[in-house]
Order: sequence, then structure tokens, then C-alpha cells
Amino acid sequence: MATSRMRLNDIHTSLVRPVSIAPLVTFRVIFGVIMTFATIRFVALGWIEDHYTDPIFHFTYYGFSWVKPLPVFWMYVVHVIMGLAALGVMLGLYYRLSAVLLFLTFTYTELIDLTYYLNHYYFVSIACALLILLPANRWFSLDVRRKPEIAATTVPAWTVFTLKLQVAIVYTYAGLAKINHDWLFEALPLKIWMPANDKLPIIGWFLALPVMPYIFSWLGMLYDCTIVYWLSYSKTRPWAYASVVFFHSVTGLMFQIGVFPLVMMGCALIFFPAAWHKRLIDRVRIFLHRMFPALQERTQVVPQTASLSFPGPLKLLLALHFTFQILFPWRYLLYPGNLFWTEEGYRFSWRVMLMEKAGTATFYVKDSATNREGIVVNSEFLNAHQEKQMAMQPDMILQFAHFLKSWYAERGVQDPQVRAEVYVTLNARPSRLLIDPNINLASVEDGWKPKDWIIRYDE
Amino acid sequence: MKKKLIILRFFSCLFLAASLALVASCNDDEGGKKDSFDRTRMLQHYADALILPAYNDLYSNINALHEAATAFDATPNAQTLQNLQQAWETAYTTWQYANAYNFGPAGEAGLQKGLIEEIATFPASESKIENAIASGTYNFRDFNRDARGFLAVEYLIFDPENNPEKILTDLQSTARREYLLALIENMQSRVADVLENWNDEYKTEFIRNDGTDAGSSTAQLYNEFVRSYESIKNYKLGLPLGLRPGQAAPEPTKVEAYYSGKTVKMFKTHFQAIEDIWYGRAKDGADGIGFREYLEAVEGGPELIVATENQLKAVHEALDAVPELPFSDLLQTHAAALDNLHTELQKHTRFFKSDMSSLLGISITYSSGDGD
Repeated sequence: MATSRMRLNDIHTSLVRPVSIAPLVTFRVIFGVIMTFATIRFVALGWIEDHYTDPIFHFTYYGFSWVKPLPVFWMYVVHVIMGLAALGVMLGLYYRLSAVLLFLTFTYTELIDLTYYLNHYYFVSIACALLILLPANRWFSLDVRRKPEIAATTVPAWTVFTLKLQVAIVYTYAGLAKINHDWLFEALPLKIWMPANDKLPIIGWFLALPVMPYIFSWLGMLYDCTIVYWLSYSKTRPWAYASVVFFHSVTGLMFQIGVFPLVMMGCALIFFPAAWHKRLIDRVRIFLHRMFPALQERTQVVPQTASLSFPGPLKLLLALHFTFQILFPWRYLLYPGNLFWTEEGYRFSWRVMLMEKAGTATFYVKDSATNREGIVVNSEFLNAHQEKQMAMQPDMILQFAHFLKSWYAERGVQDPQVRAEVYVTLNARPSRLLIDPNINLASVEDGWKPKDWIIRYDE
Repeated sequence: MKKKLIILRFFSCLFLAASLALVASCNDDEGGKKDSFDRTRMLQHYADALILPAYNDLYSNINALHEAATAFDATPNAQTLQNLQQAWETAYTTWQYANAYNFGPAGEAGLQKGLIEEIATFPASESKIENAIASGTYNFRDFNRDARGFLAVEYLIFDPENNPEKILTDLQSTARREYLLALIENMQSRVADVLENWNDEYKTEFIRNDGTDAGSSTAQLYNEFVRSYESIKNYKLGLPLGLRPGQAAPEPTKVEAYYSGKTVKMFKTHFQAIEDIWYGRAKDGADGIGFREYLEAVEGGPELIVATENQLKAVHEALDAVPELPFSDLLQTHAAALDNLHTELQKHTRFFKSDMSSLLGISITYSSGDGD
């Protein structure tokens, strides 16, 4: 007992030990810049209408079906708030409020429609939530200019460690997920995706070489599993970071993955030493002062040491968060069958770009009174992205079936029965039935339990 | 010292990886089918052998339609009417070959929808057409797409009872004949614009844009190909057969080419055009580099080709069982054959839709995907 308490004390001591605030500051600024850019990009591409207000039906997250889109004007308001909050985070202006607003607006928009679920959106939500808890505005921020008494150059170690741990989990789990037969030994899905990029300027011919999918599969797996380690040591760090830039640039060119490569290139910097961050910040400060002399401090800021504490409730909150982060991705083990096929326990587990999967789903609605069965034209209700995502994911198929039931019930079909014939191709294999085509989905409820109406892949 | 060692190690590994790649790519005899496929040549072929001929034919046949309409306008009689009807049938048959290319110059632009919506919306709205003729005000730029295009022309020059006297009587009205000519002139100018644009610069752009991302030519051609295919099943057959949820019975008036009774000929031609696109086959039967050849070169492609061609055979059998009679007659005599055709087309959908896009790695939307 005594020794374990000592060990806990040691851990506590190392978590509250003073470290430089500089890595937190860089993270805050870069994250704020990227989020500002990403918000503007999203609005400029017209995605508010495409994603949120044009579709007549939205797929919801289990337990979050109460989240609804607002009218288009208010969706724009939400995005303006999101953009301003991202700016606030970047500048460290009303920082905590900004971080809270960024978290709320971003998470709200992501929860509207399951179709657009992306692991990196999930990561952004988590990062926003963590930033709320971290004192990243106590140096090189407009808050310090407003209230010089909050300035601090050191913070307790747990703050930087929290971010490192989160990024480490993302990379490591993404790497572990790649350890599977198709990825390593068939080089699938890269064997499908890479030749499709043979026309990219300069690197296209190189990507199209037949051996490249194998090389990229193995390197990708090794990279994700071990990059945190290589980034943590000074000797390997420059090469490791060069490979971060290389990998994320190549995938950014090859796939439509938006700002994700930028996010990861920014986040990986958290593993750089404090001195590096400090130098970077000092240089940026000098540059800014030269460009905008008005910014020069009027009075000397006397930095304090932030309180070196780790309050109990915060400790508990973070402990719970990381326990969840570490355990939740493994829930798939509790489900029978092939994870890639059933997707039971697939999301929220850092499984990124892991498989090529697509389906064609045909829904039949039967009038219980007349027994006449009609065939649904999906595109009358769903946009192309929604239909594509729905047609291969059982929980979305179920949601759409329920929507069809109520839609046609309102239009005079008596007690509609809904069944679906869904053919799915996984990693270039011939398509086959995903679910029982005879089951009445209208009377099936979603839940945590295994979906016994999925036809198992190995059968 | 140590730094140099690390650099040395890094470059050795890079060198090794590169040589491995080189050896592997030279040594790929057994995977001869995996010879990298040249999408540029495929796009070139589609432009030269399928798309441009389709628009050229369409344009000249619409011009012929206009001539026939002018001749009829000058001397309306049974013979000029018959010529006009014949010209319509020829032009609308040609349209089926251009049905699937609603992108680029034929795509949406501002308030203008794709060419297919602007000149081939069905069913036509009789009331809107009659209103336009009665009021004499029409601009062909509004939302009344069911009051213009091929099917509006058809409504004016055909009678479902096939009674030429009735048509001739109706067309004694100058306003009616003016509307008819205006409709055809509008189609002429729309198709002329598309053709000109393809000839001028779009062809080069189409061939140059040879990636597989959402805006690429391959993706646009593919997406419109699938949309066109699905429209046969969903709208040309499913709708009039009453196969949509909530429909209590077949609705034979909601059919393509209702007034002329050429429904079956049109969807058969349409399907032929779709099949030609998949094969990369010109109208004269000359086969070139198309989606089929592209599939031959990718992982899982050969299996998909076999599955696709088997199902194409089944669709053809189902098509052959449907004679070219007016749809309402077929519902009496060949209802089972029509249902069967719909079923076979339904079975075929996945081979063109998800299976093909998945294997070819074509993006069907602009939205971001999951990234690593």
C-alpha cells in the first residue's frame, strides 16, 4: 500500500512539475489558424446548404437524434460564431469563452448528420474540449495584454502531457487498426486508390507503380504505430517530422480529405521541445512587432508561474476521458463477425482510410392493407453523399427505413413495411448482400446489441 | 558523426525502396493485365467516338426537325405532318445517345439546368403548354421545363389515338404553330451552344482533366452515366408501371413519348446508348477504350466484368420480350414482361453503381472523406 501510494505521489509530482507554456501556445495558435481557415472554407464551399439545410432527412448519432439543424440563416450565424471563436482561440482573446464556443458550435454542427462523420472532426471536437481546460492563453495572447497579471511562462506538466497523450492515441490507434490481413498482405485498399492517382503532377507515375501500394501500406502502418516515438527524441525528430510532412502531403494530394493533413502537421509539433516552441514564438513576436509597431508592449509584462496544481475534479475528468479513449475503440471485440463488414464498433476508434467499401441499397415499401410493394428512389430523399454512406452502413440503413416508414405512412400507405436489398463491395471483392432482404426494418430498433439481421461476412 | 550515419541510413533505405519499386514494376509480367491504364486515352475516345458524334447527330437531326416544321407551317397537310412526325422520331431517337452527357457545356449553369432537363423533361404538362399558347407569352428560361423541349413538341404533333385529322385541326391555329416553331428553335440554339462549346475548348479541357477526383472528367462522365441508367429504371419504367411506393396502379400517361406511343423504342435505344458507354462503343459498333477496358486494368475488375456482362445478357432478354407497342397496350398484354424488365434492370444497378465506382476509385462527391 505504502509503495503504491508513493508511486501515485511520484506521478502526481511529475504531472505538476513546472514546464514551459510555449508548446501550449503554439498549439493554440496553430489550431486557431486552421480552424478559422476550415470554417471559412466550409462556408465558402456552400456546404452549409449542401450538408445541413438542403437535405430533407438527416442521419443522427445514436442517442443524439434530438440534435437538429437550424434554419439556414441561423446556421450561418453558428458558423460566424465558430469562426470568431476560432480567431479568439488563435489570438488568445477571451480565450476560455472562445474555446467553449468553438467546442459547442463545432460539435453541434458535427452532430447534425452522421453522414459527414470523420475521425478528424471527432479529433477537432476533442481538441476543443481539451483546450477549454488548458491555460494556453497565459502567454503571447491578447488576454495577457488585457490582463497582464495572468501572464505565465510556466505551467504544470499535465497540461502539455494531455495534448501529447491525445495525439499519441490518435496515431497509435490508427496504426493498430492497419494491422489486418487486407491492409498488409493484399495492400488493399491502397491497391485501388493509388493507381487512381496516376495523373497527379510529378509524383503520379511513382504512386502508380505496382509495388507502391505494398510499400505505402507497410510504411503507413509502421509510421502510425511508431511516429510518436520518433517525434519524442531529439535525434530522430527532424526526420520524423519530415516524414509527417511527407505522409500528410501525399495523402492530402491523393485523397479528398480537406484540412486534415494540416491539422495533423500542426498537432505533431506538440512533441517538439519547449525551447523550439519558445524560439518560434519569439521570432513570430519580433516579426509582428516589426510589422505592427503598435503591438509593442507598453508596459513590461512580469510573467508569473501559473498555479502548479492539478485539481481533483479536473484529474478525474481527464482520467475518465482517457480511459474512454483507450477502451472505446476495442468495443468491436464484443461484436460477432467482421468489423469492416458490420461496422459495429467502427466509429470513434481512429480507423481512417482503412477500407474501400460501397453499396447499392434498394428499399421496398409495402402497404399492409393492399400488400402492394413499391420501390423507393433514394435520391428523392438523400443527397449523393448521404446515399453513398447509408448504402453500406447498417445503422444508417435502419434509420432511413424508419424515415421511409413515417414518410409513406403520412402519405396514405397503410402500416408500411420496409425491407432493403443491399449489395456491398468491400475492398474490390464482388458485392454481396449486407442484410437480410426479407426483414421488416420498420419494426427493428437500433441499439448497442449485435444486429442479427446483418448477414455475416464469413457465412 | 552520428548525424551523418543517420543521413546515410535514411538515403540507403530510400535508395533500396526505389530500386525495389523499379524491379517490381519491370517484373510484372504475370500481372500483365495490371499494365497501368491510360485514362487520357479513354477520355479522348469518349470525346471523339461517342460524345461529339452524339451531339453532331442530335444537332443535324434537330435542324431537320426544324425544316420539317417550317415546311409543315407553310403547307399544313397530312403529308407534311407525317414528315414532321418522322423527323421528331429520328431526332428524339438520336437524343437518347446524348442523354447521358449532362456535364460541362451540357451541365447546370446558374438558373439553367442540365440539357436533359431543358429539352427532354417528361411527362409534358398539357395545361402549361396550352396556357403558353393561349397567352402567347413564353421565354423558355423559366421553371416550366415540362412545357418545352422534345416532349412538348411531341404533344403538339402527335395524338395518342393516332388521329391525324385532330392534330391538323388543332394546328390550324397560328399561335400553336408559332409555339411549335419556337420550341424547336429553342432546342436548336441550346444544342448548338453545347456542340460549339465542346468543339471550341471543352474537348481539350475534358481530356486534360484526367484525374479521378470529384470534378474530374472520368467522375463527371461516370456520375451522369449512372444517373442516366437509373432514369430508365426509375422514371421511364418504374413510374408508369406504378412501382413507386404509394402508387395504387400503373399510370400509363406518365410515360416517356406518350403521344407518339414510341416509349419502348426510346427506352430500348436509351439502354443501347448506356451499354455503348460502358463498352466504349461507337454508334456504328466500333469498340474502343471505355469503362470496360478501364475495369480490366484494376483490382477485382475482371470479376466485375463477368458479372456485368451476364446481367447485361439478362437485361437484353428481358428487353426482347417487350414489343414496341404503346405502353398502355403493353400493360394489357405484356405486364409481366415489363415487370421482369424492371427487375432485371434493378438487379443490374449495383454493377454500374457502387461496384464500379468502388473499384475504379472514383469520387462521387466533393465533400471531404476520412483522412489519414
